[in-house]
Amino acid sequence: MTNNTIHPDQIYIEGLANNNSVVIQSIYKKFVPKVVSYIRNNSGDQDQAQDVVQEIMILLFNQAKANKLQLTCPFDAYFFLLCKRKWLNELKKSSNKGVTINEDFTSNNESTEEMVTETELFDEKQQLFDLMFQKLGDKCKEVLQLSFSLKSMEEVAEKLNVTYGYVRKKKSLCTGQLTQWIQETNRFKSLKIT
Amino acid sequence: MNEERYILFDQYLQDEMSFEEKLNFEKQLSEDAELASALDTFKELQGQLENKFGHENERNAFKENLKTISKSHFKSSKPKVIVFKPMHYAVAASVAVLIGLFVFNQNPNFEDYNQPENAYFTERGDVNITLKQAEVAFNAKKYKEAIPLFELVLNSTKTPEIQYFYGISLLENDRIQDAEVVFNELKTGNSIYKNKAIWSLALSKLKQKEYDSCKAILLTIPEDFEDFDQVQELLNELD
Repeated sequence: MTNNTIHPDQIYIEGLANNNSVVIQSIYKKFVPKVVSYIRNNSGDQDQAQDVVQEIMILLFNQAKANKLQLTCPFDAYFFLLCKRKWLNELKKSSNKGVTINEDFTSNNESTEEMVTETELFDEKQQLFDLMFQKLGDKCKEVLQLSFSLKSMEEVAEKLNVTYGYVRKKKSLCTGQLTQWIQETNRFKSLKIT
Repeated sequence: MNEERYILFDQYLQDEMSFEEKLNFEKQLSEDAELASALDTFKELQGQLENKFGHENERNAFKENLKTISKSHFKSSKPKVIVFKPMHYAVAASVAVLIGLFVFNQNPNFEDYNQPENAYFTERGDVNITLKQAEVAFNAKKYKEAIPLFELVLNSTKTPEIQYFYGISLLENDRIQDAEVVFNELKTGNSIYKNKAIWSLALSKLKQKEYDSCKAILLTIPEDFEDFDQVQELLNELD
């Protein structure tokens, strides 16, 4: 996927993943003002800017935690483009009101666009996953949640007061149910595109 | 749903198949693209589940921290929006000149740098009444009233934010030693109140007219501290 070298700005990604306050603060200081002024110049206010920034930061945290975020471009451009696109999407969603978009930033290089696309894909998959997970029955949710937070399936069985064999089977089948739904959605999507 | 299939997937991914079963299963995978793609999805879902539930506590801690930092960032950038009337400028300027003349060539004093920010603990939906009372008392500069309220809250919820404002209340109320204990604890932590606490420690030394130790503490504050211009100003005055 990437034979590009990792950009030194990867420190910001690591800082987010480690919940390092100094790094988070420096992101706010160095990169957030630009996002805020962009959003304010494009039909938004400060509170909306604050929300967009927080959502993008959480997304980056999640992607970094999944070990799927290796920055190959400067953080500045990447972060700005992510926030900007998120904001434009939100405007689109509520665009029955008159909306002014000042489209004057377009100097993005390829590697930034690639990084942004990857993150947006991660976001999309995560949202689809969350949606499907919510459709599961309560028992499935409980078994999966414990299976992936406790250390062993023996502990899960003990906690739920059932046998090891039962939780193992339940875990496989619940993940299987999710697999089936996701595959159906993907098939449906690719039908829609063509 | 093809139950057997998903039980096999799990066994395969847990590496629990015998050598022969494994060979057999991998042969099926190479011949059946649909099966292989289902396994990929299954595997990816396990990764997502791991990410969702394996890091849940860390994620919550991150969100909390992010909220605090965001709040203080946007709070400190807000006052810029306030429109000053020209008359206010004139008054402010002449007051500044007077203070300037008065302070000139003297040792700096605590009151010049003592500008406690307002506390905003409670958000929509919060119901901690004691904390709200502490916030109101603090913002009204009734520090003596705020102290026992903060103590009450800290018994059950100890966050760096509450500790910090408790420390300020103690300092304002001349309970210097108690205040320093609180600030020293924050200093060793890694919250966003770390630098603010060090700055408050310096102010506490200033209040006691211990200029040398005040200076020594100021020199440990990193440049990215939000009020670093204040730090430098005070350092210049101390020189």
